[in-house]
Amino acid sequence: MALVLIWMMRSVAQVTSGTITGTITDAETGQAVVGANVLIRGTFIGSATNIHGGFRLSRVPPRMYAVLVSMIGYERLTVEKVGVAAGESVTLNLKLRSVPIQTEQVVITASRREQSLQEVPVSIATVTAKVIADRNTVTIDDALRYVPGVNLLQDQVNVRGSTGYSRGVGSRVLLLLDGVPFITGDTGEINWETIPTHQVERIEVVKGAGSALYGSSALGGVINVITMDAKDSPELRFRLFSGLYDKPRYAEWDWSPHARFNSGAIISYSNTAGPVTYLVSLSRTVDESFRQNDAYHRWSFYSKAKYNISSFRSLTVSANFLSRTHGNFFWWKSLREATKPADPQLNGKVTSRRGNVSLSYKEFVSDRFFYTVKGIYFGNFWRDDSAGRVNNVSAAHLFNLDMQATYNISESNVLTFGLAGNFDQVNANLFGTHPGVGGAAYAQDELALTSEVKLTAGLRFDWQKVSVLKSTAELNPKLGAVYMPDKETSIRASFGSGFRYPAIGELYITSSTNVSQVVVLPNTDLSVERSVSYEVGISRQFGQSVFADLAVFSNDFRNLIEPSVQIKRYRPYPSSPTEVEGPVIQFENVTKARIQGMEATVKTDWWKKYFSTDLGYTYIWPLDVNENTILKFRPRHILYASAFITYDELRASADFRYISRIERIDENLIRLAPIVNGEQRVPIKVVDIRTSYDLLRFGLPVRVGFNVNNLLNYHYVELVGNLGPVRTYTLSIDGVL
Amino acid sequence: MRIVGFVLVAVLLLSCEPGLSPPPGVEPGFGGTIVFQKGTWPPADSLFNLWVFASQIYPLDSTKVFEGLFADPPAIYLYPAIDQNIPFFVDSLSYAFSLPPASYRYVGVLQRFASEINVRSLRVVGVYGTNDDPPLPIPVIVSESQFVGGVNIRVNFHKLPPQPF
Repeated sequence: MALVLIWMMRSVAQVTSGTITGTITDAETGQAVVGANVLIRGTFIGSATNIHGGFRLSRVPPRMYAVLVSMIGYERLTVEKVGVAAGESVTLNLKLRSVPIQTEQVVITASRREQSLQEVPVSIATVTAKVIADRNTVTIDDALRYVPGVNLLQDQVNVRGSTGYSRGVGSRVLLLLDGVPFITGDTGEINWETIPTHQVERIEVVKGAGSALYGSSALGGVINVITMDAKDSPELRFRLFSGLYDKPRYAEWDWSPHARFNSGAIISYSNTAGPVTYLVSLSRTVDESFRQNDAYHRWSFYSKAKYNISSFRSLTVSANFLSRTHGNFFWWKSLREATKPADPQLNGKVTSRRGNVSLSYKEFVSDRFFYTVKGIYFGNFWRDDSAGRVNNVSAAHLFNLDMQATYNISESNVLTFGLAGNFDQVNANLFGTHPGVGGAAYAQDELALTSEVKLTAGLRFDWQKVSVLKSTAELNPKLGAVYMPDKETSIRASFGSGFRYPAIGELYITSSTNVSQVVVLPNTDLSVERSVSYEVGISRQFGQSVFADLAVFSNDFRNLIEPSVQIKRYRPYPSSPTEVEGPVIQFENVTKARIQGMEATVKTDWWKKYFSTDLGYTYIWPLDVNENTILKFRPRHILYASAFITYDELRASADFRYISRIERIDENLIRLAPIVNGEQRVPIKVVDIRTSYDLLRFGLPVRVGFNVNNLLNYHYVELVGNLGPVRTYTLSIDGVL
Repeated sequence: MRIVGFVLVAVLLLSCEPGLSPPPGVEPGFGGTIVFQKGTWPPADSLFNLWVFASQIYPLDSTKVFEGLFADPPAIYLYPAIDQNIPFFVDSLSYAFSLPPASYRYVGVLQRFASEINVRSLRVVGVYGTNDDPPLPIPVIVSESQFVGGVNIRVNFHKLPPQPF
């Protein structure tokens, strides 16, 4: 019966709709362009070209359309006024002109809509799925280690010096998962492991304040992780990897008599069932670590389904669950025993269960107007155990809702506006039980004055209330301008402001456990952190081989919240009649800062792109205005250099990263924690190399890769008292069936 | 291309040093864990200071305390510094006490329980010692380039060890 119904529906659809077919070829060589995206503007009807360059768009309702064709390395093509009649087929045979890769790269995070990279008035970097796979990235933070202007303090991301030492609490970089905020409800931090790395299509990193579009936490930047859509034909993908940690250079650090491994397996399947495309993925990762009590075991499940309700409406649902057990390694025992944790952490572990469910509904009301409604629930449950005793337990629930509309008022004017809301509920012995609720409204207008000049103006209003504290409201503007005197050059200028509400963890944390060995006190008087960013930049493509970008930036920060370690009088417990004096950690609005600098990026392609290089250098001058000295925990120089060789099925590449020695750290933290030899640090100079070979020519849809990370076994710290990974050899196999 | 080659060579040259390395010797000192008997913490208004002390002098008496603390070099060391404290109201904590090589014959935890600063406001609340009742102090011998671990001290504010003052 169901089959008959489907057959009847298809028959009716064929009669009441038309088809667009055709081929896409290279304008210079005449060869078929494989994998080009062909999309009808204002609809979800789209396809990719096959190995002959052919495509077919079926079930197209009769109407006049614009057909968009895009492919990396080619100029985007728009064919206007393609008329489709019921029961008829239209043929389009199109030619694409090849262009340097950079000029036609498309991003969505800078303005909440698709734009060419050249049209964006702020600095933005992308990391593609190919790069993530090549580097054998297990968690997304590893993929960010070679983004210019970004450095990581272990797993805490820092964009152009915005973030100091907080062990991740209260991130000043906003993480978005498919455009929706994805920050934990309790500590306001980024939890990288929750992101399904294998299912990421690309990552976009917007540098500078972005609260005018995205609200709280976007002080220093915005990182948007965009996940892949399921394929419309059956596809089974898998990835297996196994890595071996080399021995440290020094016998003193070789604590284990056994070899230490990390390994993982990821399998995913995607297919189509009627109007629904779906993807399910399961992964298992085990990392024994090169450090004692730092091992973890992780299971994760991810699924995504897209239901094309009609040619103009779609509903996407995704769900993700992760279970992990990880040893406690806050800092080393001493530099002499740098691969062993301090004694109190030795038997500690953290068990976490994290999951999210998201819904996204998108409708094209016309080819000029569409809207999206996105909702996400993000649950975080963790506990830490020490020697079999449970110390801390936290349950945090976070709901985010975002409704956005985009209206192309004319070819030269695009209006984006929307509403957002959030609700948090935290229940933890560390933080207490507290709700949080907030709402926002935003709007942005992009106006092309001429074909060379584009202006952007935006404004967002946010309101937030946490527990019984007084509510706060924020108004954040942004302005941007892009001048493109020719097709190869883009000059940009932008201004934007940012803010961050204190996380529930920063407001209410109270702890006398022996993990940090220092009492941690709440501070409900914390104020909102604020930032203002200014930037001017220029990018230019020189011929087919060289692309260069130069940016100068200045960011002012006020009321920066930092963990402050000091001797203080406090009540040891709420009902205590008297106060005592002792060392305490408390989050406080301690710092006013000005971070200025410049960033240069050069990308080159040589010998028909057989050989490519990327070079990124960032100079940061992070001034603590209160103390008229350099800010704590910020590097002054960040340099990344990469070289890639591609020859037929063989790929090989090498990366180098240099991060200058952190000039100033928190001496009180080192002394009072105590972190023995915590002041020891050096510049970071790490070389990673890798190679891979595609076995498709032997009839096997498999790629074999071999990576050596930290080739020279250089020993360094990103975070005080935490030795960076030693040299690691990893063998990986990727397959598509 | 020359620039690319230059950068690659520079990268390799820059990276040929080992980075961090273990210190040639160990900073002398001792450390371990202090375990506080649950439910025995005194009222907060009697916790003016709490330190780990290490005395080369034993037996100790009232006259030798301040003399030992302020001698040059001192014969009695406090951890942390005299104007600081180890944490209050915790169940246990680990500590790492760096101090000159010597034989420390009397090691324990010292409390200042009154506002005035004199020996009458001090009391020893725990001692690194034998399992006897009362415990006898065990000397901690710290040599050059040696950090002595396992100097664990139990503190029961309701049951104090013999007082030296």
